Amino acid sequence: MYPGLGRDETTTFEPYSAFDIPADLRELHGRYDVEATARRVRNFRYAEEWMMMAMGGWLATVPEMPVKTGLGKIIWEGAKAADEFGKRLPELRCGRKAVNESVASNEGFAGFIQDVTEPERPDLTIEKLAGVFDVLKPHLVEAYQKHMRETDAITDAPTVEILDEVVRKTERHIAWGREVLDRLCDTDAKRERRRKRVSELTATLRACGGVTGDIGDRDPGLH
Amino acid sequence: MKRFIEPNELARDSRFIRQDNNQATTLALLPDDVDKVVEMLEAFGPTIEQQVKGTAAEPLFDAYGPAFGLITLNQPLRPDDDAADTRLKLRMHGIFVGEIQALEGAGRSLWDFPDAPWEFKMNMARQCWDEARHVQTYEKLLEHVGGTVGMFPESTFLFDCACSDDPAMRVAGVNRSLEGLACDVFRDMIKWGEKTGDEVMRQAVDYVLADELTHVRFGSDWVKEFTKDDPERYKKAQEFRRQTDKQFSFGGARSAREDAAIPIAWEDRKDAGFTEEELQDLSDLGSEGPSRETMMEAARIMVERHRERRAKAAKEAAAGAGK
Repeated sequence: MYPGLGRDETTTFEPYSAFDIPADLRELHGRYDVEATARRVRNFRYAEEWMMMAMGGWLATVPEMPVKTGLGKIIWEGAKAADEFGKRLPELRCGRKAVNESVASNEGFAGFIQDVTEPERPDLTIEKLAGVFDVLKPHLVEAYQKHMRETDAITDAPTVEILDEVVRKTERHIAWGREVLDRLCDTDAKRERRRKRVSELTATLRACGGVTGDIGDRDPGLH
Repeated sequence: MKRFIEPNELARDSRFIRQDNNQATTLALLPDDVDKVVEMLEAFGPTIEQQVKGTAAEPLFDAYGPAFGLITLNQPLRPDDDAADTRLKLRMHGIFVGEIQALEGAGRSLWDFPDAPWEFKMNMARQCWDEARHVQTYEKLLEHVGGTVGMFPESTFLFDCACSDDPAMRVAGVNRSLEGLACDVFRDMIKWGEKTGDEVMRQAVDYVLADELTHVRFGSDWVKEFTKDDPERYKKAQEFRRQTDKQFSFGGARSAREDAAIPIAWEDRKDAGFTEEELQDLSDLGSEGPSRETMMEAARIMVERHRERRAKAAKEAAAGAGK
């Protein structure tokens, strides 16, 4: 018999919560409801999936050996991020088949991804890497951190946990990519190519509202 | 970025020298006839000479002429062989560039087939990481045996043979044929490490072989998945794999024979999902084409001719200098 079921067995302990020590200062209610979070997770998955597929395609057309081998692990971690986002979708009432759903927030963002994946020739490593490591990945870190800040930290904790892990790895990817870019851009002309690429893609990204379609000109966070 | 690329589009830095793929392809088509083998391979002489110029293979060409490939391919790698050191470097370099092409093949499978099932993409993404580590591993092993990147020419023959536009055939070619060949060669390198007491080699290659078995399994599973309910497509994928395996047998250099230069890793392949029937077929493929005796006799004739040509040229040069 469990304590408390019979009159004589009522526990004498005071009611308590594990979170009382220290006090749980988190508040319920976030900016996104279940549907909104599901929509955003689909958008995140779209970006991660296409980014890792494009890097897969580039493995054959980048001549720099350390870039080829360095991208290998980043591709795998991108696939795992997309996979984790997919697994979250059925938990957000999207149905079991939703695990493979990747959806662009709007046509503008789909077009932006096309622009990022466009460079093909072996002499365009700067353009390839700048699109991913100077623009898209930093933008995703911002978007993921924004979601973590604004969602309900208690009820949407599983999404926060996924994002926390993805951000940690993505920041490592960005550090690697920028180090490679700094080395590759060893002349003013090359630095200008990088700057131009970043500037053009950032403008496209800003115009479409970013990965979730609601960040951009209205949000000073997108730089 | 377009879907599907040609092997000549594989990008390399300035250390690499590209080799003509035709030589490797021709080896698979040679008949069991000494004269014909000599005739066909002599035709590649000038091309081979040009491609090895300035590489570590130049001394091998000087010594054996265009037949040096036949000699290195058809003799098992033994520590007490005269040219064991150069042949070891040649093999490690061959594996290193093969790993680069396997990395590129897995990456292209992600981009070329955007509508493939998600689990397929996960497998290919994982393979990208594995192959990237293999490239890093073999670059270090190449240095470990005293070699350097670019010391030998690179043939893109593996990528060329294996990369089909159909995903079922792509995985049959890349994951079953190319990765299967890797299993055979790696098992042989583990034995080399054991024979020579090279623990660095033995352990590193053992880990890589474990990954390769996983990749062959990906191939075995995905050929079945892509061709389920379509027996015709399954037949085509199997035939594609068979043709690729025939080319990867290098005219019998890889076979089930005891003295094969590259013995078939029978047990490893069974672990990875090859059936007994497929393995028997692979073994038979290695027995098709010229026998080892034919190849060695052809090599002997070609070496003799090469030395005669060199002696004649030296005599003419000396006569010219005396005038």
